[in-house]
Amino acid sequence: MPSVFTPSTQTELARFVAGNAAGSRQRLRPIGGRTTLSANVANSEEICEIRLGDLKSLVDYPARDMTVTVEAGMTVAELQSILQKEKQRLPVDFAQATRATIGGAVAMNASGPRRAGHGSLRDYLIGVSAVDAQGRLFHGGGRVVKNVAGYDLCKLAIGSRGTLAILTQFTFKLRPLPEAEGLIWTTFDTFAEIENVLERLLVSAARPVAVEVLTPPAAAVIANAAHASLPIDRPVLVIGVEGTESTVMWQIEQLRREMVPFGVQDLQTCTSEAASPVWSALTEFQTPADDPITFQANLRPSRAMEFLTLAHAAGVLAQCHAANGLIVGHIPAEPGGGTPPLGTLTKLREFARTAGGNLTVRHADENLSSRIDWLGDPEPSATLMRQLKKKLDPHELLNPTWFDGAGK
Amino acid sequence: MGPSDGRPVTAHVRGPSLRDETETASVMMTAHEITRASASVPVGLLQELRGILSAAAVVDEPQRLVVYECDGFVVEKNMPDVVVFPESTEEVAAVVRACNRHNVPFLPRGAGTSLAGGCLPVGGGIMIALTRMKAIHEINLRDRYAVVDPGLVNVHLTQKLKGSGYHYAPDPSSQGACTLGGNFATNSGGPHTLKYGVTVNHVLGAEVVLANGDVVMLGGPTEDIPGYDLTGLFVGSEGTLGICTRLWVRLTRDPAAYRTMLAVFETVDDATVAISEIIGAGIVPAALEMMDQGIIEAVEAAFHFGFPLDAGAVLLMEVDGLELEVDAEATRMESICTACGAREVRRANSPEERLKLWKCRKQAFGAIGRLSPSYCTQDGVVPRTKLPQILQHIQDVSRRYDVRIVNVFHAGDGNIHPILLFDERDPDQVERVLAASDEILSRCIDLGGSVTGEHGIGVEKINFMSRLFSPDDLAVMGLIHDCYNPEGRLSPGKMLPVLAGCGNEHMPRRVPGRKAAL
Ligand SMILES: Cc1cc2nc3c(=O)[nH]c(=O)nc-3n(C[C@H](O)[C@H](O)[C@H](O)COP(=O)(O)OP(=O)(O)OC[C@H]3O[C@@H](n4cnc5c(N)ncnc54)[C@H](O)[C@@H]3O)c2cc1C
Repeated sequence: MPSVFTPSTQTELARFVAGNAAGSRQRLRPIGGRTTLSANVANSEEICEIRLGDLKSLVDYPARDMTVTVEAGMTVAELQSILQKEKQRLPVDFAQATRATIGGAVAMNASGPRRAGHGSLRDYLIGVSAVDAQGRLFHGGGRVVKNVAGYDLCKLAIGSRGTLAILTQFTFKLRPLPEAEGLIWTTFDTFAEIENVLERLLVSAARPVAVEVLTPPAAAVIANAAHASLPIDRPVLVIGVEGTESTVMWQIEQLRREMVPFGVQDLQTCTSEAASPVWSALTEFQTPADDPITFQANLRPSRAMEFLTLAHAAGVLAQCHAANGLIVGHIPAEPGGGTPPLGTLTKLREFARTAGGNLTVRHADENLSSRIDWLGDPEPSATLMRQLKKKLDPHELLNPTWFDGAGK
Repeated sequence: MGPSDGRPVTAHVRGPSLRDETETASVMMTAHEITRASASVPVGLLQELRGILSAAAVVDEPQRLVVYECDGFVVEKNMPDVVVFPESTEEVAAVVRACNRHNVPFLPRGAGTSLAGGCLPVGGGIMIALTRMKAIHEINLRDRYAVVDPGLVNVHLTQKLKGSGYHYAPDPSSQGACTLGGNFATNSGGPHTLKYGVTVNHVLGAEVVLANGDVVMLGGPTEDIPGYDLTGLFVGSEGTLGICTRLWVRLTRDPAAYRTMLAVFETVDDATVAISEIIGAGIVPAALEMMDQGIIEAVEAAFHFGFPLDAGAVLLMEVDGLELEVDAEATRMESICTACGAREVRRANSPEERLKLWKCRKQAFGAIGRLSPSYCTQDGVVPRTKLPQILQHIQDVSRRYDVRIVNVFHAGDGNIHPILLFDERDPDQVERVLAASDEILSRCIDLGGSVTGEHGIGVEKINFMSRLFSPDDLAVMGLIHDCYNPEGRLSPGKMLPVLAGCGNEHMPRRVPGRKAAL
């Protein structure tokens, strides 16, 4: 059994980590809500779990400054409900919000459909505190929305997967909650037709905040989760808009008119109450379910529809944030439970590569775990990343196996 | 230390020195001495540089080097020994490798509009000016990015994109001169970064020449590259981690519609309360800028826009979005201003009028010469609700130190730019300006803010770092510095105090900057 440490303050954590660095040098694994752990590191007997669930205070919320400072162990849902009371939000979508912690979300660079319109955590995180492998409690950035003093440690925290430091506290800048939101759900015969629409959208009179493309089985999962009867028999394009009641209606009408000439087969709109379960289903889709492999690919947006064509032909349930070129896919088991779907993974990764992108595995079944290349092609800057890891964590105490891929 | 030990020697200054106008003049007069100084760059290095670059791209004549002794921060000066003008990444890398072989420091320079002394060649050495690398390599509207050279002037990209429906969002007031490489290094902001974010929010990737001469690609045209966001780390690193030789920048959709307004207030107090109220009401204006009476006077004399000379302050406000919504937003802001005591709120009635308003704002600094022989701009930031407090504090400081201070700044971000007016020939005034600046920035820290919102630490504010950050914070930043710039030859003496041992560990600021910006 791994040992466990559950700090109740950041200083207590720093003291513990410093003691560890000076003493037994156990390897440490920061733990938030455990929603993405399978992606993170190998299970290891000698690892000490640092459970951040008790570091969950709201440190400061000067709502009229539109910033908030919270500890890493607070759940995303709790933060969002605190902000909602002031009609504000952190406009990034997080899956499993009631379990996922803010720390985990930052460490994994979580995002969802709204990133087309609102960007990702790197656009909102303005201050960070963390404990490094030596037990130093340090911070970067601050609590003001504009600040260029010192290196931008916030950027390093995002997506660092617990490998650089144990993240303990964050300051975000916030946005007002929109008054209304709406979605148009459309189907097309092919992904190639959807690509034509995506090109048209580049000069749309509307300003969508979400542009999602789904393979039919992914659409089925989403419609089902939203308890909505939506067309799912063909490739699906979902566009989301926000604003006032009137700008939402206007944009939906505008988008409808712009899209129809491109071969829309079915079109359904969801506004007010009807929209929100669909938004959440679109956000939750990324969570691994029963399928043996879940991946994320990042491509140039212009190549994403080709990727989806390929993925769909291989039976993959895929969702694409089309404005950003990000794709989440679940690869189902071969029929009859036979050979694991490693061939599909290889094929898709190859395409991602030729499209100037990459593909990383976020979840794999235990029995596949050691046979999988989790990280895909090393990025050109991989050497620099390793150097930095080595500099900040010379004894490789923090989530040590991640760089070689979990499971190895 | 001399030529024989292979280290560069600068005859007139070792490291940045503090000098007043007379001393500066004396430096200019001793040009022939400086010839000898630059000759003290190891001969071998000079020869190598001439082998790497064309003859015209290696400058070591003192008369021409004088231009490079400082940037927009004119207080501390030091000439580089040589300035080179590479035209390609390979040339930059070759120059860097040559400098390393000869153990000579080097630093990048864009347009030299830095207001924090980012381009000061601390310890002399080789200055790598990127202004000849100014191509636009690709504009890809489908994937919404552009690939550009670091020496490209910000506004040239804007001009190139005109009519495409897309633009590059960060618009520093210096955009007519500053380069995208300089913007990358300082993480520049501008009036419209209130809604759209600063440079780092719009840089997807960069090709960088590291301190050891290696060329690496950080990020690129695809988002969410697996691993650490090194692009995000290098942006704003003030040239201390690498030299950017190519950038991939995000293109942003043009707003469908905008409304530009000018609200006129009797007092600065009323105007700052209005800013607080607008932000507090959950409005996200595209821009929200304040000018006080002193600056209005100067701007009006220069541009004859028709600003009311008796107003205490004006707010230049812009909202953008769909045609359908901008009027409602504009009206909301107007009524907040009126409720806070605005005497009138005007709307720009045509694109021309809007442009003129923005021109007045962006060139406000050029107009300051009309008010005073010397001036010094600070770049503090406070939480937006603290604006009334910091502006009152500035007025109070102005009274107590008997220094005239005018204000023009990115109000919506809480990023103040108090401009202290003085005559640098009067040492007593200089002392008072320094003390006043220090007090203002210290108050920014006390109010929970920062000492720089966009101009950077450079050499100017290096002493504030240990007031903003703990020794542990600085130690971690030091590790990052040493990770990519272990010998400290790349841009020594910048941003981090007591680093790289370049002789400027202790650099008391005695003379405030004169240049200013908005
Ligand atoms: C009138 C005026 C108005 C201004 N308004 C604003 C404003 O609104 N917002 C704002 O943010 N700033 C403003 N500034 C400050 C300045 O213009 C910005 O910091 C700008 O980004 C500097 O660009 P530059 O090309 O002049 O860079 P330089 O001054 O040449 O260099 C700045 C720093 O970047 C480094 N550097 C330059 N090029 C590279 C490169 N390719 N790779 C790595 N490092 C490099 C240099 O070593 C130096 O440390 C203003 C300045 C003036 C004079």
